Amino acid sequence: MKYPVLLAMAVALASIASTAFAQEDAEEQLHKAVQEAVSAVAPSVVRIETFGGLEKVGAVRIGNGPTTGVIVSPQGHVLSSAFNFVQKPSGILITMPDGKRSGAQIIARDHARMLVLLKPDEQKSGMPVPQTVSRDELRQGQWSIAVGRTFGGEEPNISTGIISATNRIWGKAIQTDAKISPSNYGGPLIDLQGRIAGILVPLSPQGQGEIAGAEWYDSGIGFAVPLNEVMPHIEKMKNGEDLHRGLLGVSLKQGNTFADPAVVAACQPNSPGAKAGLKKDDKIVEIDGKAIKRQSELRHALGGKYAGDTVHVVAMRGDQKIEADITLTDKLTPFEHPFLGVLPKRATGQKGVTVRHIYPDSPAHDAGIQLGDRITHLADREVANAASLQEMISTLDEPETISLTVDRGGKSVEVTSKLAGQPTEIPGELPLARDDRDEFKGDRPAVGEVEVKIPAETNTCVAYVPASYDPEVPHGLLVTLHAPGRFNKNATLKRWTKFCDENDLILLAPKATDDKKWDRTEIDFVQKAIDNISDSYHVDRTRVVIHGQQGGGAMAYLVAFTHPELVNGVAVVDSTMPRGAHPPANDPVRRLAFYTTMSGDATQRARIEAGVKQLRDMKYPVTVKPLDEAKAKTLDDAARAELARWIDTLDRI
Amino acid sequence: MNIDLLTLKRFVIAITVALVICGPAESAFAGPPSLADVIDSVQPKIVKIYGAGGFRRLEAYQSGFLISSKGHVLTTWSYVLDTDYIVVVLNDGRKFQAELLGADPRLEIAVLKLDEADDTPFFDLAEAVPLRNGSRVLAFSNMYSVATGNEPASVVHGLVSAKTTLDARSGMFETPYRGPVYVLDAMTNNPGAGGGALTDHKGRLAGLLGKELKNGLNNTWLNFSIPISEIEQSVEDIRAGKFQSSTSDPDAEPVPDPLTLDALGLVMVPDVLSRTPPFVDRILPDTPAQRVGLRPDDLILFLDNRMIQSYKDLSQELSMIDRATPIRITVMRGRELKEVELTTTP
Repeated sequence: MKYPVLLAMAVALASIASTAFAQEDAEEQLHKAVQEAVSAVAPSVVRIETFGGLEKVGAVRIGNGPTTGVIVSPQGHVLSSAFNFVQKPSGILITMPDGKRSGAQIIARDHARMLVLLKPDEQKSGMPVPQTVSRDELRQGQWSIAVGRTFGGEEPNISTGIISATNRIWGKAIQTDAKISPSNYGGPLIDLQGRIAGILVPLSPQGQGEIAGAEWYDSGIGFAVPLNEVMPHIEKMKNGEDLHRGLLGVSLKQGNTFADPAVVAACQPNSPGAKAGLKKDDKIVEIDGKAIKRQSELRHALGGKYAGDTVHVVAMRGDQKIEADITLTDKLTPFEHPFLGVLPKRATGQKGVTVRHIYPDSPAHDAGIQLGDRITHLADREVANAASLQEMISTLDEPETISLTVDRGGKSVEVTSKLAGQPTEIPGELPLARDDRDEFKGDRPAVGEVEVKIPAETNTCVAYVPASYDPEVPHGLLVTLHAPGRFNKNATLKRWTKFCDENDLILLAPKATDDKKWDRTEIDFVQKAIDNISDSYHVDRTRVVIHGQQGGGAMAYLVAFTHPELVNGVAVVDSTMPRGAHPPANDPVRRLAFYTTMSGDATQRARIEAGVKQLRDMKYPVTVKPLDEAKAKTLDDAARAELARWIDTLDRI
Repeated sequence: MNIDLLTLKRFVIAITVALVICGPAESAFAGPPSLADVIDSVQPKIVKIYGAGGFRRLEAYQSGFLISSKGHVLTTWSYVLDTDYIVVVLNDGRKFQAELLGADPRLEIAVLKLDEADDTPFFDLAEAVPLRNGSRVLAFSNMYSVATGNEPASVVHGLVSAKTTLDARSGMFETPYRGPVYVLDAMTNNPGAGGGALTDHKGRLAGLLGKELKNGLNNTWLNFSIPISEIEQSVEDIRAGKFQSSTSDPDAEPVPDPLTLDALGLVMVPDVLSRTPPFVDRILPDTPAQRVGLRPDDLILFLDNRMIQSYKDLSQELSMIDRATPIRITVMRGRELKEVELTTTP
């Protein structure tokens, strides 16, 4: 063979070998892919600047640097995170893709996903609307890029990470480990093809409100709400209509959310569930074709829905299958707990409810119920004890009139009674809640001053158990949260031990770690301390009260709103509800009552009154105690005695 | 087919020639260097620095990297260097005493010189590369002081999130540096990471890791690095002795009629420690110091371009300057740098 041919062959061979191996380095390939994806979406990602407004929301200092938004219509409507506007700015400027700044207004909010829709003041057309991708197409572990416009310059700021999960916060969000922070809230989370999976927002499974979750910034856990699920509702928002979470209006039987099936305890009045014919004891087994085996799955299925969405519900009534298409609503008629008018006697050793006290002018009084009557049946159902009678009355399908069977001196008497709303006045004097007992001689846990230690928690906590503690007597629990910086164990014990001894009350006094304030994260500790005490002592789960002064009072509200299943009463002195606190809707399966002092100071007074009105609109019973000027900041012995009586009446029926 | 010997010989020669032509194929044959290889080549240039601090929340450590074969180290200027006993530990565990050659507080950088160091591996600042948005990077540092002795520094992998300038508005960022920075999508805002090295994915130096810094615009911690191009000149100046203090100049001699603190109107915090920091205690009325607006609690950093690290430095430096000569003093007031000119002649 000739040299040239051989040479040509050889060169061909070697060059094939060289191109096969001169690969671009993987890092460079990733860089290029990321750059291309970002360039594809960048024209739709805009910079938002705000002016004026609050500097602090609650205890969180809000910065006022630029934030990010995404164009969602050819007219230039911009979707962004509600976090970016929590300071209620007086002016908003958007830098549009053509480089020009335009004033803008918030025209609608998505309260379910914490988004706002902005409309530019100047009419625009032909604005670039980005492509979206459904989370069903996303896979755990694939690359994702978070894009923001908070730093100056033409190019957006970026952070890469993976898709960590696609169905978080009860179905509302996609989770990523890219760095998500105020540097990109309101901006898009995109895939490597430049398609938007979601809008970045702070979210927290526990908290609510615009800033909940912002403390997790750059932590490796960040959330984006799927954009393709919001887009079908954009026309509504463009017309100025807000979007709300879709509610079914059904209360489930209390238990373990993650284990128990979704059995209806009650349907809220006038709710979609009630109107569709769902009844107590129905078991919901399917939503939109998806099987529901546990209460948590029901929450997941409904978590991402808006008011106005229709869901196909399948429930079992015994062996009978019930199917209905139910349209979810945004507001439920507030539920008010019905009231018969009696106080039960405790530790009687007998079944049913023995009447200890009858409220004057109550339905019980009008129906002729007498002291000492023992209520044995409600209609044809046997009454086990006070707590079960309370639940039965609250979950009646038609709560106008009830028929009771009482045992009066050995004879069975039928009584018919109406029901009224909850009282707010505190009775002046009450007969003893239980008969005198002999001193308990058996084994019992420690009494007197007891230290409460929770593993893995740094807070300290002290409890006081009356010396006369008898495990067969249900004891109320008074959790007292001190004003910041003012924890004084001896003073607290001195003030309350007398009332604890007289009223079978256990006192629990946790101490905040920081001298200056309670931290939201300490809600966990308070909940654990309550559980701890309830494990060791016989705590009456219908009389657990959180009490606090000033900052401690604000904390008391937060504990109750975060764990309404744990708390029956909130008693605050010289405090207001913390800004952004969301009281949960009143629910038939749990009772919550409020007690607050009224301040003499005008501003404080106005704020307390606003909080009271909000709670009363939600049909919660609120007792307001006017205190004279000098004592407005703290309770005296007489007021404390009255508060102890208020706690004593929390198991009223 | 019969392949005769001649054809075979020709083929072998042809292949050899071809391989020479496709020379680069040889190295490509082996594939691009892996991240592991790149990191191995960078680690010997990274150093662990130990100095002052170690109480409350002020850690006594930070990071740095070698910039010459004679043991020059570039790092961030901080309280950690505020001691006579700076210890630097190399990648192989070798320990050196280090001297603070000089610092530029406007850029918050400092250069150290290791005593009796020879033939150290190093980054050549002139070969530093610029980065773009999205460039993949590696950040080398001893964050949290996790590495000790001959343990290698920690490496973080990420990318450049944005290339931008720190907002000049006062109070937005607690640093006097106002130039371009790389904002990083990588966790470098950690105790002790400041002074470390930012490289591209090929291990080429690109920036100096910044100290822990809060972004006042949105109240979040900022991961950032200063491009080498911004600090190269200053490093040269420091190495050339421009920022040196007089205590390191053996030929300096006092002048017959020197400037005094009294004449300037400065009353300093009393010299009771071995290295009393030069804080202004009081300003005397009707004096040059009062006229140019110096205040109590100002910390004197430079006198002309000489670094002043202690009361002794200050008095020694003044003793070399004639009473009539105007001087420039640079002070730190809070986090702001102020430069003033003083003269005793009206």
